[in-house]
Amino acid sequence: MISFLWRRLLAGLATLLVSTFVMYILASASMDPFGDLGQSTAANKEALIAQRIQLLDLDTPVVIRYFKWLGNFVQGDLGTAWVSDQPVSSVLHGAILSTIQLVTAATVIAIIFGVAVGIVSALRQYSSFDYLMIFVSFLLYSLPAFWVAVLLKQWGAIGFNDFLADPVISWVAITVVSILAGLLWSLAIGGERRQRALTFVVAFAATFSTFAFLQLTDWWTHPSINPPLLALLGTATAFAVTTLSTGLKNRRALAASLTTVVIGLVLYLPLQVFFKSVAESWLMMFVLALITVAVGVGVGYAWGGPDRGVSARTAAITAVLVAAMLFINQVMRVWPAYYNAPAINGRPVPTIGDRTPNLGGNFWVTTLDQFMHLLLPTLALVLIGFAAYTRYSRSSMLEVMSQDYIRTARSKGLPERTVIMRHGFRNSLIPLATVVPIDIITLLGGAIITERVFARPGMGTLFLFSLTHAEIEPVMAYLVIVAALAIIANIVADLVYAGLDPRIRVNA
Amino acid sequence: MKITRKAATAAVASLSLLALAACSSGDSDTSDDDAGINQSTAVNVAWESGLTSVNTDEFNVGNATQNAIVTYLTNAQFNYYDPDLKLLKDESFGKYEKVSEDPLTIKYTISDDATWSDGTPVTATDSLLEWAATSGNLNTIEGTFDPESGEDQTDYTAGVFFNGVTPGAPFVTKTPEVSDDNKSITYVYDKPFGDWELEFQGPTVPAHVVAMHALGIDDPTEASDALVKAIQDNDVEKLKPIAEFWNHGFNFTKLPDDASLLVSDGPFIISEYVEGQYLTVVRNDKYKGDRTTGPDTFTFRYIDDPMGQVQALQNGEVDIIGPQATADVLSALQALDTVTVENADEGTYEHIDLQFTNGGPFDPNTYGGDAAKALAVRQAFLTALPRQAIIDNLIKPLNPKAEVRNSFTVIPGAPNYDEVVANNGSDAYPLAGDPDKAKSILAAAGVTGPINVRLVFNGDNTRRVNEFALITDAEAAIGITMVDASAPATDWVNKINTAPNDWDASMFGWQSTSTAVTASDPTFRTGGSQNKQGYSNATVDSLYDELSVAIDPDEQTRIITDIEKQLWADAFGTTIFQFPGIHAWSKKLSGPEPVSISPTIMYGFWDWKIEGSGATDEATS
Repeated sequence: MISFLWRRLLAGLATLLVSTFVMYILASASMDPFGDLGQSTAANKEALIAQRIQLLDLDTPVVIRYFKWLGNFVQGDLGTAWVSDQPVSSVLHGAILSTIQLVTAATVIAIIFGVAVGIVSALRQYSSFDYLMIFVSFLLYSLPAFWVAVLLKQWGAIGFNDFLADPVISWVAITVVSILAGLLWSLAIGGERRQRALTFVVAFAATFSTFAFLQLTDWWTHPSINPPLLALLGTATAFAVTTLSTGLKNRRALAASLTTVVIGLVLYLPLQVFFKSVAESWLMMFVLALITVAVGVGVGYAWGGPDRGVSARTAAITAVLVAAMLFINQVMRVWPAYYNAPAINGRPVPTIGDRTPNLGGNFWVTTLDQFMHLLLPTLALVLIGFAAYTRYSRSSMLEVMSQDYIRTARSKGLPERTVIMRHGFRNSLIPLATVVPIDIITLLGGAIITERVFARPGMGTLFLFSLTHAEIEPVMAYLVIVAALAIIANIVADLVYAGLDPRIRVNA
Repeated sequence: MKITRKAATAAVASLSLLALAACSSGDSDTSDDDAGINQSTAVNVAWESGLTSVNTDEFNVGNATQNAIVTYLTNAQFNYYDPDLKLLKDESFGKYEKVSEDPLTIKYTISDDATWSDGTPVTATDSLLEWAATSGNLNTIEGTFDPESGEDQTDYTAGVFFNGVTPGAPFVTKTPEVSDDNKSITYVYDKPFGDWELEFQGPTVPAHVVAMHALGIDDPTEASDALVKAIQDNDVEKLKPIAEFWNHGFNFTKLPDDASLLVSDGPFIISEYVEGQYLTVVRNDKYKGDRTTGPDTFTFRYIDDPMGQVQALQNGEVDIIGPQATADVLSALQALDTVTVENADEGTYEHIDLQFTNGGPFDPNTYGGDAAKALAVRQAFLTALPRQAIIDNLIKPLNPKAEVRNSFTVIPGAPNYDEVVANNGSDAYPLAGDPDKAKSILAAAGVTGPINVRLVFNGDNTRRVNEFALITDAEAAIGITMVDASAPATDWVNKINTAPNDWDASMFGWQSTSTAVTASDPTFRTGGSQNKQGYSNATVDSLYDELSVAIDPDEQTRIITDIEKQLWADAFGTTIFQFPGIHAWSKKLSGPEPVSISPTIMYGFWDWKIEGSGATDEATS
């Protein structure tokens, strides 16, 4: 194991070294440090050029400059972004944070949706739903990031803001959307004709009434999750989580989940008073989340029974989801003030940046503002990442479901839920574990375009700016980080695979 | 499967119940407090890249447009350009007058009210530092160049080196005199200098802040006195850290921890700067000058992508933009009915220069020293150039008002442009090109045989590739064969500067950053630093000698016209067009009146008005 790690690490370092050399040569060949001086009519242009040559050490051959750079780099000196005269380490700091913020949310959402759709697609192999999803995922897979991003800005931001100025959807449009939703659900859930018809009607009614509700209660301008809504969503969540986690036959787990929903409802008003009287922070939210998990686990154990661990798990998941709803509600409550803020001026969905200047406001306003700015870039990354995960999880699930142990599980009379969730789903995640780390690195690369279009000050923006302004040191810092992450991701993927799949041994 | 299906149906069904239950509930519990939100309105300005320094006199980092547009708001100056490129005085900051013409002596008096935002008065000490920095006369580092290769071997860190030397300030070699009240400073030029008004326009950074940091003195007055003493005594050991701090101390890309770096003497002061995102300036309450009207807060938002700027304008996130002009940007903007779009000229102009000394078609040596023949080839080449077609095809789509530029030295729109063009002899070269006339010129001179012209340009620039195609067609009509000598974006400057034997004509842009009349000196003078064509004309040289000491504007215009007459008669080259610019702003904003040179869209901010918020109140009723 240790020797395997050492071998991989050393090979990784060698790869890194060679790639930095190649990148340095290529980057320096593509740069024009005199771009801004070419057209200059300054009287002392020659002195300026001479000075620039001195500053960037351009009289030294590029190979020697590489080794000078390498020498500084291994000593921890990342160099200077000369256009702004700032040390690279300080420039990188903010950029990395911004990119991680963007990529984290996008990856998590893309994995959840992609895997869910992929699994359902596999279970309904060769059904209309499957074909539809294959079509959609290939369509999304082939979309260029810059195009999606610009379209999202046009429709998702400018269009939606125009809509919010007068949020009325025509009843015809609502009906059409509801019919589409009904069709999609009936395809996804499948079954006999009668079952399909029932699903269609139910889904149609659900969608239609949701939109009707949003419209009639003026929800668009005063969004909130009020107690009746919380009760409904909470109950639905409790049922859904229990179904997936233990099956509805486990009455204790269901009761435990529902109990956490009730606790959430009871805390609805006290929490608002609580948040009014304290200075909120993300640290506090994290602590509250931990408390929530603890409460969920406690409730699960309290309901007792032979498999109280399962109840605890189910209740904890439900509790976290209900707490998330309470959090979202708290954020939504500042919406009218946010919407009317002069800095927002009735255009809440932004097209650029990672925050609104001159907004001011408390923790909830800042959080809402961050969410609004993450919305479209995240969506752009999700749309593209989602497609890949759908394909991976579908094929992996199909393979798993054709294994002998699945037939064994079925033939010994396990309920279908248990077969799918415990024997199928879990094993289908193993190949994904190798894809995800590498995919995150790819997303960092994909984020270059997304960041530029949305003018977010992340790693991609830094890379592009430095490349066009002939700053080799930030470019190299970016490349080293990405290359190192790629190498680490590969090693991690190998280890995770070995950890998950007992058939693989790393010291082989 | 059954349970899954039932459960899913149940979940969907419960969602439908949601509507029924929630419809009945009111929305009375949403909060109506303002959650601490800032209720003032700011004007948002889009710009390509973020501020890097507030010391715009410094060359390496400071002297860039992204800095100038901010310091235009935070830094008071003695004079500024209006949209007609007339230099106006801001007498609320200070006055200046020409005390004597021989020797040229200028006295600047800073207004008694002028105060830095930390309460320290703006004094002649600040101007003294400006002199020290821009004249370079205290720099102890002399350029050392390798005699063989011309390689620069100067060690810029060894001694005093203010990196901000301007064209005229070095002529003030005598340390300027400061009045007793420390509000006036008098500069004596060693020789007359025509563009004296563009020198010493006002201190860009507070001397006391520089001195406090560089000399480690905490008291501002004491620090200023030490700085004055160091400059007057030429104390190298003290000047070294001062120059070092002046060069680097004011460089930042996010709000510095040290608030003294933001000290300003203009109507605004930087209040917030988030790296790569935005920079906000608010009113400076210590400012006592005239520019107290207009919006109270400006925010510069940094958007690199031109279409991103357009969409941000459409979405109301920014109020005014000046993106790089492309046909896409223009058509996207014209489709918006909520914005005002203005096409304008930019400071950079496209031109073609001909190579005189490389043994090519424009060099007399090619014709056995027959200068008349070489001249005829140059004239014919320039006469055939389809300048109007280039404008019509490539520039008009971006700026419908675009016209052929006909002056080598004066920006179109400058007060004396029309006068110069009317008399400079440029009318010898018809705008549309005249192949017949060109042929007759060639025939009259008896030029025979094939003529190949290698044109160097930036081959990665689509517009220039298209220009080249138009030129190739037009020149083919008179028997001149154009050869593509273009180089990649990273290399063309180098090719023009270092390989004159590889090209006969060059096409690129020259950038004007001011109306300085002497700026063209190095381009046209024999052996000038930007004269890469080997052009040499004794009359032009002596006219430039005359121009550099001419102070009267009418006299300057006369000399410029004479210089241009020579240039056009010698068929030096030609000027084609002013780069097209696009400015657009929301109809909520009134007052912008962009200038073609820095600070472009920010000109006249004191006359701007922005509609307040609340236009969409009905949405939250």
